[in-house]
Amino acid sequence: MVTLYHYLVLSALLFGIGLYGVLTRRNALLILISIELLFNAANVNFVALNRYLYPGQPLGQAAVLFVIAVAAAEAVVGLALVLALYRTFRTLQIEKIDLLKG
Amino acid sequence: MIEFWMFNAMALLTVVPALLAVTVKNVFHAVLWLALSLVGVAGLFIILGAEFLFVVQILLYVGGIVVLLLFVVFLSGRPSDWKGRSSNEQWLGALLLSAVLFSSLSAVFRMMPSAKPVTGSPGPAILSLARILMKDWALPFEILSLVLLAALVGAVYFTRPDQERKGGGPW
Repeated sequence: MVTLYHYLVLSALLFGIGLYGVLTRRNALLILISIELLFNAANVNFVALNRYLYPGQPLGQAAVLFVIAVAAAEAVVGLALVLALYRTFRTLQIEKIDLLKG
Repeated sequence: MIEFWMFNAMALLTVVPALLAVTVKNVFHAVLWLALSLVGVAGLFIILGAEFLFVVQILLYVGGIVVLLLFVVFLSGRPSDWKGRSSNEQWLGALLLSAVLFSSLSAVFRMMPSAKPVTGSPGPAILSLARILMKDWALPFEILSLVLLAALVGAVYFTRPDQERKGGGPW
């Protein structure tokens, strides 16, 4: 029997994986990929809590729609910034992008 | 019972590609693994009875954002970027931090009220979803369109060629 706890643990696992990716990736594009995983972990949580605690009133699903829209905006701006970074520095390795390092 | 096995299959389809997406070296492959993981999340939405979110997830994430990511993969990066390690020196600390976060989150989630598993299939939620979006949350919904417009303008601004950006940018 699938309980709410299964979904919550799954989303925590997904969040942990995404966090590991954000912290360890050296490529700016791959960090953006990991951030998408974080968004999806939150979305699974929203929908699961909605289904189990407040069935019949899809407020959580509406919140997920908002999260997806904001995530799309984030991805668009983030990817534009990645392209601008690549044009300026000719690399995407984030440790080489150190213009502000004293 | 069938829900249990579907959940297991979709959880596997979500977690394993996610693990590969944050560990494989090839950027192109990482994007493709991300797409598979997003499909797994869409499957979870179906099991949870959120069929409209399933459609949005496939259309917007798998069809939109992943294709956008693939375009950027093609447009940027040098061969020397793909040589060497794909993770930095702090991977052990990051692994520890993620593991601690996961275990503490799981411990906290155990204290959640143990809701009874919902039986039966839910009715179509799309009607009440539309009512929420267009009536109760109409103002946030319209503000969201402004956010998307701002993202659009920002993306166009950042990706313009340098000579067209007259004194606007910091570089």
